[in-house]
Amino acid sequence: MKLTRRDFIKSNAVAAAATVAGVTLPVTNAVSADADDGIRWDKAACRYCGTGCSVLMGVKDGKVVASQGDPDAPVNKGLNCIKGYFLPKILYGEDRLTKPLLRKTNGKYDKNGKFEAVSWDEAFKTMAEKWVAARKAKGPKGIGMFGSGQWTVWEGYAASKLLKAGFRSNSLEPNARHCMASAVGAFMRGFGIDEPMGCYDDLEHADVFVLWGANMAEMHPILWSRLTDTRLTKPGCEVHVLSTYEHRCYELADNGMVFEPQTDLAILNYIANYIIQNKAYNKEFIDKHVNFTKTPTDIGYGLRASDPREKAAKNRNKGKLSKISFEEYAKSVEPYTLEHTSKLSKVPKDKLLKLAKVYADPNKKVSSYWTMGFNQHTRGVWVNGLCYNVHLLMGKIAEPGNSPFSLTGQPSACGTAREVGTFTHRLPADLVTKKDAHCKFAEKTWKLPAGTIPRANGKSDDADQSDISGKPMGKTLIHAVAMHRALKDSKMNTFWVMCNNNMQAAANMNDESLPGWRNPDNFITVSDPYPTVSAQAADLILPTAMWIEKEGAYGNAERRTQFWREQVAAPGESKSDVWQIMEFAKYVKVEDVWPADLIAKKPEYAGKTLYEVLYTNGQVDKFPAEQVTDSRGNKYDNHESADFGFYVQKGLFEEYRLFNSVKGIPKKGHEMADFDTYHKVRGLRWPVIDGKETLWRFHEGYDPHVAKGEGVKFYGKPDGRANIITAPYEPAAEPPDKEFDLWLCTGRVLEHWHSGSMTRRVPELYRAVPDAVIHMNPKDAKKRKLRNGALAKISSRRGEIVCKVDTKGRNKCPEGLVFVPWFDAGRLVNKLTLDQTDPLSKETDYKKCAVKISRA
Amino acid sequence: MNICSLIVHTKPAAGTLVSERLQAFHGVEVHGGSEEDKLIVSVEDEGESMSPVSDTMNALRDVEGVVNTVLIYHYGGEESME
Repeated sequence: MKLTRRDFIKSNAVAAAATVAGVTLPVTNAVSADADDGIRWDKAACRYCGTGCSVLMGVKDGKVVASQGDPDAPVNKGLNCIKGYFLPKILYGEDRLTKPLLRKTNGKYDKNGKFEAVSWDEAFKTMAEKWVAARKAKGPKGIGMFGSGQWTVWEGYAASKLLKAGFRSNSLEPNARHCMASAVGAFMRGFGIDEPMGCYDDLEHADVFVLWGANMAEMHPILWSRLTDTRLTKPGCEVHVLSTYEHRCYELADNGMVFEPQTDLAILNYIANYIIQNKAYNKEFIDKHVNFTKTPTDIGYGLRASDPREKAAKNRNKGKLSKISFEEYAKSVEPYTLEHTSKLSKVPKDKLLKLAKVYADPNKKVSSYWTMGFNQHTRGVWVNGLCYNVHLLMGKIAEPGNSPFSLTGQPSACGTAREVGTFTHRLPADLVTKKDAHCKFAEKTWKLPAGTIPRANGKSDDADQSDISGKPMGKTLIHAVAMHRALKDSKMNTFWVMCNNNMQAAANMNDESLPGWRNPDNFITVSDPYPTVSAQAADLILPTAMWIEKEGAYGNAERRTQFWREQVAAPGESKSDVWQIMEFAKYVKVEDVWPADLIAKKPEYAGKTLYEVLYTNGQVDKFPAEQVTDSRGNKYDNHESADFGFYVQKGLFEEYRLFNSVKGIPKKGHEMADFDTYHKVRGLRWPVIDGKETLWRFHEGYDPHVAKGEGVKFYGKPDGRANIITAPYEPAAEPPDKEFDLWLCTGRVLEHWHSGSMTRRVPELYRAVPDAVIHMNPKDAKKRKLRNGALAKISSRRGEIVCKVDTKGRNKCPEGLVFVPWFDAGRLVNKLTLDQTDPLSKETDYKKCAVKISRA
Repeated sequence: MNICSLIVHTKPAAGTLVSERLQAFHGVEVHGGSEEDKLIVSVEDEGESMSPVSDTMNALRDVEGVVNTVLIYHYGGEESME
């Protein structure tokens, strides 16, 4: 029988599925997978979520024609989700941008002009003029860059150098501020070092899974597949699911709970109280490994200082911990009885009890997972910490199956935003700008004069840092939400948004984001492959090479660093983010942004460009450009190396390793393998020591930083002990009232990733879920005379949008709460949301504000 | 031309029954896995008039007895390359 081409491809597809499932097919029509005609296969980390699946990309004639889950990848073991399935199509949307576009009138830049194609040279000249002027006039906060947890590792690293070392500004934030900052805050407070102690292997080791504000079935489908497999095959395995509405995970739940928004704080304290009342806690573990502390309460909601809720807060933004005794801790959770907690949370008592019992059972291994339910929370750092409290009380932590695990939403929120430290307060490898010694270490590593990097408080060796503005540096930190406020208030005048869609993503678009961007004083640059909502609100748009159009590296939620090679060329004049950052640095001279006394400390830098100082420093340009070749002899382009004349990615990564993998570094525990190794493996989980990855940190036998005989050691803290941090339930900033009588919760759907700028351009995904709808309870709909499918107006104190009502969809809301996804550029739900943040992590709470709904 | 393969996890002992339900969809074939309750399924578009494979895959998830669907392979290139 002659196979047609279609049959041939189909048999490959079927064979791949059978291999992954471990199923033997009755009739073997198997064709060897590498018999694909002329298709070059190579690995890449998926472009979307923080799971970090490896996908195989099939390239033919310079175009990606096929994809499959990577059977050799430990993360996804050959599986793929629907978004990953159509992944190659994100490159080929019809409206890809191919030329820089600048708003112009009569041939000159004009804020109110129309977009016209310009050269890269004109784009960067215009931009540099604005940036230098703003930096001089307004000081370190006069400029700002908003990057991404979707940046590759070296892009984040190059950006951190440009802003912190080059422009001497800490106005660098990633969109991960909206996503992971609360998780980071809790890791630092609890353990003194960022990122989860466990790994995905816990998905096979645990007896009980508890989901806290994570819709894994839709947002982390591959991890959900692994969890499902364990639930269905392991005797006695249980799944507990908590959320403020029912979602797809409830289909598998043995104990599904819907709680009143914000009462997760109370539920976690109830569990702790149950454990203490029943003397179930692991006394030996807490005696050896835990300190008890409390955090200031009544801390506000991260709103503008003028807001009455901020004025009323007793300890606004405060978070300094103070030590308490175990007895004081026990007393602090005592009010959270079953009765009280059930009443407050509206979760039936038997369900709460069932949940508390699995945590309290010393013989059950419990893994807790959370994502934005915990993180996007005005008490996000607290609630992350309360979950660790429960695990620490039981000693159920840092060992196979016992794992409190913060999942991430972006492919490199961990690898780039957190590990490289592209936050206002951070430097690479957990170093911080508030520590003079950390800044000095970074300056030495980067071959900069002492005092270059702006300190959080603007002082080095207790003296004011001098500045190009002629004034003292002053306080230099500014977080993401504050950046939009500063743009609106004309305190920040230039803003570069790269690899994200913050006009659509940031809360309170009408009152803060849009007025800030369109403020006549400001010059906004957006780098993107597509004309997103953000691009359209900008003054300069830079066309961007995305994902596998460049050599890249991502770090996923389980500390796994993964590399890929450039698979295809980007269209038109598109250039990668790292190219844009480095090329732009050629347009700024040291004299433009550094004061004379600083240059005098390193006279050889006089007259040089930031590009020369930062990227041709003998380290970044150390490795010559080479023909990239894989182990099978396939060859790949590298456009950045070709343009700059050295192996850009390798140089940046190896310099980054001077912060985490050599002797004498300030913070151990983030060690990584060398550049070349990562191209050969399916990722490695740090710390990587002597070529070996680490699965469970802080635990003897798994983590090389824990010496023999130490058992467990939380070495991020000087005394090796983790903090249990007590914090109470406090109400949300804007609960429903008589007029705005419903909670609004926003989030994602399976088919679309974040703001939809990529997935909405994949016809299959767009077709599957074209528009955002309002998920609401049928009773709430009926009260408002709305039928399923009817158009409704949903409004908050800040704006309104019109959407169709969905009372029968995949999300089942309780009475009093509605859910609207945020992927839809035609229905911008962030016109409604409140720009409230966790006062400690500065992360926005997108899950709780008050709205009303009526017929449209 | 779109050709996809996927694994469909079914409820315990429901593999054969679910397999029959899936075969009723246009462009869907089940190639094995009934005994393991892990069906090996291919989905392909069959010319212009048929619904795109993504619609079919979404529909499969809602079939009674299906616990989870996972996608493995996608080919989205041109057909006439022989």
